[in-house]
Amino acid sequence: MIELIASGLVLASMYGLVAVGISLTWSSVGMLNLAQGFVFTFGGYVAFLFAQYMAKNFSIRDGVLLSLGVVLLGMIGSAIAGLIVGGLAFLPLHDRVNFPVRGLIATLAISIMGTQIFMLIFGPQSKPLPQIFGIKRLKIGEFSIAYGQVGTIVVATVVLLIVTLWMRRSRRGLQMRAMMMNPLGANMVGVSVRTTGMIALAISGALAGLASVLLGQIFFVSPTSGVQPLIVGLIISLAGGLGSMPGTVLAAVLLGFAEAVTARYTEQSFVPFVQFALVIAILTFKPRGLGGVLEDVRE
Amino acid sequence: MREVSSGYGTMRVIHGLNFTIDPGERIGLVGLNGHGKTTLISTIVGMTGWQDGSIEFMGQQIGGRRSHGVGRNTPKIVRSGIAIAPQGDAIFPGLTVEENLASGAYTEGAWKTRKQRRDAILEVFPPLRTRLKQSAGTLSGGERRMVSVGRALMADAKLYLVDEPSLGLAPKISIGLVDALCKIDLGDGAMLIAEQNLPLLSGRCDRILGMHAGELKEDVGEAFGDIPPAAEM
Amino acid sequence: MSKYEVGRRRLIPRWPVRTSSLFHRVRVPGTKRSLLRFEGRYNPKTLQRELILRDKKPLFWMVGLFALAAIPIAVGQQLVFSIFGSICFFAAINVLWTLIIGTAGLQSYASLATVGVGAYAATYLSITYGIPWPIMLIAGTLFGALMGFIISVPARRLDGLYYALLTIGISEFLRSYITQSESLGGQFNGALFGADRIVSEEAMQTSSGQTISYLVSFFVLLISLAIFRLVSGGRIGILLRTAQSSKEDESFAAAIGIDFQRARLFVFLISSAALGFVGAFYATNQGGASLSLFSLDQMLLLLAMIVIGGLGKAEGAVVGTVIVVFLNQWFTSWGPWRIVLVGFLMLASVLYTRNGLFGLRQQLIEIRERRKALSRATRTTRYGAFLPEQGPEISDKGVIAEREFERAIRDQLRDWITPEIIEEHRLSPLGQHSDHLERILNYFRKQPISNKYVVYCESAFQAYRVVALSGIPGVPPRLVDDKTYSNLDEAYHAVFLRRINDLKSQH
Repeated sequence: MIELIASGLVLASMYGLVAVGISLTWSSVGMLNLAQGFVFTFGGYVAFLFAQYMAKNFSIRDGVLLSLGVVLLGMIGSAIAGLIVGGLAFLPLHDRVNFPVRGLIATLAISIMGTQIFMLIFGPQSKPLPQIFGIKRLKIGEFSIAYGQVGTIVVATVVLLIVTLWMRRSRRGLQMRAMMMNPLGANMVGVSVRTTGMIALAISGALAGLASVLLGQIFFVSPTSGVQPLIVGLIISLAGGLGSMPGTVLAAVLLGFAEAVTARYTEQSFVPFVQFALVIAILTFKPRGLGGVLEDVRE
Repeated sequence: MREVSSGYGTMRVIHGLNFTIDPGERIGLVGLNGHGKTTLISTIVGMTGWQDGSIEFMGQQIGGRRSHGVGRNTPKIVRSGIAIAPQGDAIFPGLTVEENLASGAYTEGAWKTRKQRRDAILEVFPPLRTRLKQSAGTLSGGERRMVSVGRALMADAKLYLVDEPSLGLAPKISIGLVDALCKIDLGDGAMLIAEQNLPLLSGRCDRILGMHAGELKEDVGEAFGDIPPAAEM
Repeated sequence: MSKYEVGRRRLIPRWPVRTSSLFHRVRVPGTKRSLLRFEGRYNPKTLQRELILRDKKPLFWMVGLFALAAIPIAVGQQLVFSIFGSICFFAAINVLWTLIIGTAGLQSYASLATVGVGAYAATYLSITYGIPWPIMLIAGTLFGALMGFIISVPARRLDGLYYALLTIGISEFLRSYITQSESLGGQFNGALFGADRIVSEEAMQTSSGQTISYLVSFFVLLISLAIFRLVSGGRIGILLRTAQSSKEDESFAAAIGIDFQRARLFVFLISSAALGFVGAFYATNQGGASLSLFSLDQMLLLLAMIVIGGLGKAEGAVVGTVIVVFLNQWFTSWGPWRIVLVGFLMLASVLYTRNGLFGLRQQLIEIRERRKALSRATRTTRYGAFLPEQGPEISDKGVIAEREFERAIRDQLRDWITPEIIEEHRLSPLGQHSDHLERILNYFRKQPISNKYVVYCESAFQAYRVVALSGIPGVPPRLVDDKTYSNLDEAYHAVFLRRINDLKSQH
């Protein structure tokens, strides 16, 4: 039972990280970032390069410092990738006509190029990341959970909490929420749409980078490893209501548990079925998603 | 402000204006609908399609020839010390009244003292006091306008631009609003109020400028006689 | 149509003719259309008879399609056949997809998946029940329509990007379903082969077999172009164009009685059925279906073709396809770089053009017009007497002179307004006045009736109020304020003061 909950929560935290990033970008910048898969993979490769460098030059293959470095560099790398996406797709386009559709296409173009460039540099093979939480298992009574699972859940929860609090309390967070509501009005109270948008892209990039490093524990990093998280993240942010943090997290938990339960009691191949049925059910009853308030407000 | 012209696209709305606003001055800008009051305010903060001529603010050039990137420099101009309460309600409907007001305090200093500033504004607009935690989208028109104007006042700006504070409001409420605006102690800050109703401003401002067809008429003077301000057209 | 400057005319191709049947037009049998829009006329200068071509587009289409059909047959190599075969196949899909995205305005990214459904269904039926290829085509069409019906259900409730996400999800979901399904070739990584072919495998080795196979592909492209023309150029296309660009347009269309939702779904179903047909054709041509029909990369490549060519136009879809497929299959030695180049082209076209290659011309014309207008606007100094937005539009010099005259009068009158004059009017609103006051009152009298202040008698000798006339027959005057005056003289004076104040705030 505990194992089930643990695996559900692990999936939920991964999905939540990616989906919150997508949702954040959409709501503050007004652009659906389909290059999030590229951002995800970028962070993974930066972390991999770091680990490789440490192993080669200092023969460090595990330890707290290395884990910390891998996580941090993954996040920084992905944040930089987020800024690259912003520089290519957001800055030149944001005040042009038909920005949402053109931005979407531009991010798609970036993701096409990104995948191929990774292929050129790293080749099609998967690259492993070091096990940042060790390989031991935590025993609770008769059940046992891998440290990796516990670590993933804890780190994801803490980071999401920090981001939520930051959005609620700080000046930048207030500005970002103001920009979500009324970009023109925000412009008039001194919020630069360009700067704030880039910050939002960097933050959502960092979230994706964290997810990438955490997911890299299980699936390794490959040029196309961003596709699956991107799709699932998109679907979750859609079901959660684009722009709503609580809605997105709730949807991530729902879908994560749905996947864990389905995979345990039936076959793995039923997972997409169940997830889709769930999302379509949610969208049938709430076309704006679970927490969808923003769109109505923006009108 | 010297020889300033501006407009949108092929339209030239403002025709070579010249005027100065001195520190601590309260200026009314009067003119009928569509004669360029709002455009003048947009020009100052760089939100028009193009502009020509020079706008100087505290010794710094903020205008100049520009023809693209509408609003791209606005945040920079605003942060250099110009607060603006735009026409209509450009409030943030999903945020609470408190957060709306706080978002006006965009400079470092103003952000730190935002509690005191907020209290000062609540003195001026008492109806907002009970609604601090309420979402701004649920307010009435007059309250929204108070939030919008209050947000501009939250900044420690040197120039406050208030566009049509009475637009769409009942005469009683708009008189109250303008009275409040004119009572506030600005320190050495100046204020420019654009308005359609001359009687609403007369006697309350230091100077009233008339605006007609994109040109400025210096000092209209006071309104004659004791008549109440007209209702909205 | 844009405006042309004097002296620069569009080139209209013309041929002098000597026949007597100048105004005879060759029509497509059964319709009123003629293939190329030739018009007969007498040249106004030379009085010679000549034929002119009004619309050059059909000519370009015919030349282009002829080249597409003839080049591979003339070259006759297997590689060229396969490249042009893919061009026809992808162009057919893109044209139908353009119908969905452009004409119907539905952001569906499941078009390739619909093709895949058609292909897999046809292949599966052919392998299991041994049906021949004509029935495979029909089955593919039916399955395409079914798929279209299923994904059109959420289209009514979701809008824009939400729907786009859902369709991407659906195709991804179908892909993972096929990799895990045993009956659809999951064990061979999704490859399902062994269906009946139009041109048998042995015949494909010969050059005549390849030619026939290619011509069939070309025919499929022609069919999809015909569907595009019929749907987009027909009544339903006009209905949908009304509701295309924004939410307001949708409300407007609904308000004038266009059921655009139904029209959209209808277009969606037709193109989905056609996409299923294209899929079944793929199965009969290749002898089966493979997973690449569902892959995200392939879908992105198709999107790149549409975006590079220009969204919403059939010619954009075809030319974009030619460019991308050629890059992708001719320069295979470049490895992944060619896809990077495609991505780069896509990015460039979305950053710098508003609507791809075929939107460029319009965009250049607009840029030129805007430059001209802008420089004209910055130079303008006249028109100070007008509302600013009227300025450049008034062409009648009489109106301009009249307005400037009025303005001069107002300037003069304003100088005469003094407290003494006001006092004089207050003491006796009616009767003989001084010269200045009389002139001011005369100016007020001849003002237009709309928004003119007048006295309204609430009850005689007791209560009078100031109202403003609407100027429109049937629309009552509106109250100006809530003040009442006890006698007529006070009310007259209040009206006078209002008019004075308005005069002062005018320029």
